[in-house]
Amino acid sequence: MHGNTAEDGLQQQPVGHGYDRATAASAPAGHWCLAWQLGGARAPCSVLVDRRAFLAALLLLLGLLAASFAYLTMGSSALAPRAVLSALVGRGDLMAVFLVQELRLPRLLAACLTGAAFGVAGCLMQTLARNRLATPGIIGIDNGATAFAVASVIGLGVSLAPPAMALVGATTAAALTFGLAAGGGTRGYRFIVAGIGVGAVFGAITQLLLAKVHIDTANAAYPWTVGSLNARPAGAVTLLAVGLPLGLGTALWLTRALSLMRFSDAVASGLGLRVSQRRWQVLAVSVLLTGLAVSVAGPVGLVGLIGPEIARSLSSPRGVPVMASALAGALVMVLADLAGRVLLSPIEIPVGIVTAVVGGPWLLWILLRPASRNLA
Amino acid sequence: MTRHELATRDLTLRYGRTTIIDALALSLPAGRVTAIVGPNGCGKSTLLAGLARLHAPSQGAVVLDGQDIQQLPARELARRLALLPQEASAPEGLTVAELVRFGRQPHQGWLRQWSAEDQQVVHEALAAADVDELADRPLDTLSGGQRQRAWIAMTIAQQTPLLLLDEPTSALDLGHQIEVFELVRRLAAHGRTVVMVLHDLASACRYADHLVALRHGQLVAAGPPGEVVTTELVRQLYDIDCTLIPDPATGSLLLANVRRAPRFNIHPS
Repeated sequence: MHGNTAEDGLQQQPVGHGYDRATAASAPAGHWCLAWQLGGARAPCSVLVDRRAFLAALLLLLGLLAASFAYLTMGSSALAPRAVLSALVGRGDLMAVFLVQELRLPRLLAACLTGAAFGVAGCLMQTLARNRLATPGIIGIDNGATAFAVASVIGLGVSLAPPAMALVGATTAAALTFGLAAGGGTRGYRFIVAGIGVGAVFGAITQLLLAKVHIDTANAAYPWTVGSLNARPAGAVTLLAVGLPLGLGTALWLTRALSLMRFSDAVASGLGLRVSQRRWQVLAVSVLLTGLAVSVAGPVGLVGLIGPEIARSLSSPRGVPVMASALAGALVMVLADLAGRVLLSPIEIPVGIVTAVVGGPWLLWILLRPASRNLA
Repeated sequence: MTRHELATRDLTLRYGRTTIIDALALSLPAGRVTAIVGPNGCGKSTLLAGLARLHAPSQGAVVLDGQDIQQLPARELARRLALLPQEASAPEGLTVAELVRFGRQPHQGWLRQWSAEDQQVVHEALAAADVDELADRPLDTLSGGQRQRAWIAMTIAQQTPLLLLDEPTSALDLGHQIEVFELVRRLAAHGRTVVMVLHDLASACRYADHLVALRHGQLVAAGPPGEVVTTELVRQLYDIDCTLIPDPATGSLLLANVRRAPRFNIHPS
C-alpha cells in the first residue's frame, strides 16, 4: 500500500535523497513563489504570493481608484473628468481647482484613510475572536471612542484633544469588553454580548453628555454621534495618516501569525505561535486604528464589518486578507460618502447613516443565514 | 541522533485552586508509543496539555532533553514536539495540502516561506498518512477518519521527534480507529516518540509500548501494558471488575466479562 516515499515520510529528519537545497521548489497550488539567493552559502530566500489574494487586492485597488475619481467629479457641482484631471495638477478653472484641491481631495483622503483603518481593525478583531461579528463597531469600541471624543468636544473639563480622547475611549471600551468576557476569552458569544452591552452604555453616555449641554454645542457634536466626514477635527487626519501606515504595516507583518490564529489555540501554539503575545499585539493595532479613525469620522464601524466581508469573499481562504480589507474598507467608505453627498443633494447624508442603511441588512443577513458560519 | 527524552519532574498543574496533576514524576520512553489512560477527569488531557506547554506548571517542570520546556522559544519547541489537540479546528475552506503545509510553519520565516525541502516533506507527509489522494479536497468534505489522518499528516510535516495526540480516535468508528492506530505504530517504527491520551484501555494495551495510568491526578501505574495491567488496576481506575485474557492473535490483553465492581464486599472471603 505504501511506496518508498510513504515510508520515507515517516523519517524524523530529511535524509537528503533526491533533492538538494538549491533546487528551486515549485510553488504550491494557487501561489507564486518568488525566490532569490543572497550569497552561495545561505539558504535561498523565498516569498509566497497567494495568487487569488493578490488579484483580489488588485481588483479592489482599481475599484478604489475608479471610485475616487468619481468622488472628485461628482457632487453639488459636477465637474467634467477632464476638468478634474487638470484641476488635480492645479490648472484650469480656478473654481474647479478650489473645489477639487481644497474641498473634495482632503475629504476623499479622509474617507480612504478612515475606511482603510476601519477595514483593517475589523479584519484583525474578527480574526482575533474567530467570529465575523466581532468587529470593533459591534463590540463597543467605536462607541467608547465616540463618547470620550464627544466629552472632549463639548469641553467637559478634559484637556486632551479629540483624537487622544478617542484613543483613550477605544482602549477603555476594549478593556471593559475583555474584562467582562473574562473566562470566556475572546471566543464565542459571551465576548460579543459583553461588547454589545459596553457599546450600549457608551452610546447612552454620549447621548447624556449631549442632552446636558447647550443646543448649539450639541449640534456641533451631532456629526460625532452618527459618523460624518463633513467636520473633520484638525490634526486628527494627520494623526491617522501617520497611524494607518504604522498599523497596517504591523498588521501585514503579523499576517503569518494571523493565519495561524484562525486555528484553535492549541493548534496554533503547537505550530510555534506565541498565542497570547500575538493576541495582545493584534488587539492593540485594532484598537489604535479604530480610535484614530473614529476621531476623524465618528463611529462608522459598520465599514469594519462590510470591508473585511467583501475582502474575504474575493480573497482566498488560505490567508487573512489584511491588505484587501484595507482597500475594501476604503472603497466602501468612499462610495458611501459619495452616495451621502450626491443622493439627496444639496442635503448631505452623513456617511455613518449611509453605511448603517447598507450595513444593517448585511448584518441581519449574516445573523440569519442558515448555518451561520464563523471564521473558524 | 540524540535520544529525545520527555519527562516530568514534580509536575503540578492547577486550574485556579483545583489541583489537576499532583507532583507527577514521569519518564516517557523515547521511540516508543506511550498511552496515558485513566477515568474521566483524572487529568490525562491536562497532563498532555502540560507536556505541550499549553498549561504552565504551578510547580515542577516538563523536561525535554534535559531542558525545562518553559525555557524554550515557541518555534524551537514546535520543531521538537508536535501536538494534535482533541478539538482541532481549521479555517473554513482549507484543503488537506494547505493544512499539511501549515506543519512547516515552525521551520519557515518571513524570508523563507517555501523551499524544496518544504515541498518534499509535505509530499512525504501526505503519503505517510495516506491522504495524498485527498490533497486538494477541502477538510470539511472529508470523513472523520480522513480528517484525522490529514491532521496527523500536518504534525508529521512538522518533523518533530515527539508527537502528542489527545484522544486521536475518540470520534471515530472502529475502522477509522484502526487506521489511526496503525499510522501511530508506523510513526513509532520510524523512531518517533508518540504520547497519546486514550479512553479505551484495550486499545492502549494493543497499541502502546508503555502505559501511564492516572487517577485523581496521581500516577497509579507506569510500564509495559502486559506488566502493569491487572484486574486490580482496572478496578482501581474504573471501578469495574473484569477478566483479563490475552488476545489469541497478538497476545495483548483484552477485557472480558466486564461488570461494575461492588461498592462494598457483601461476602468477605
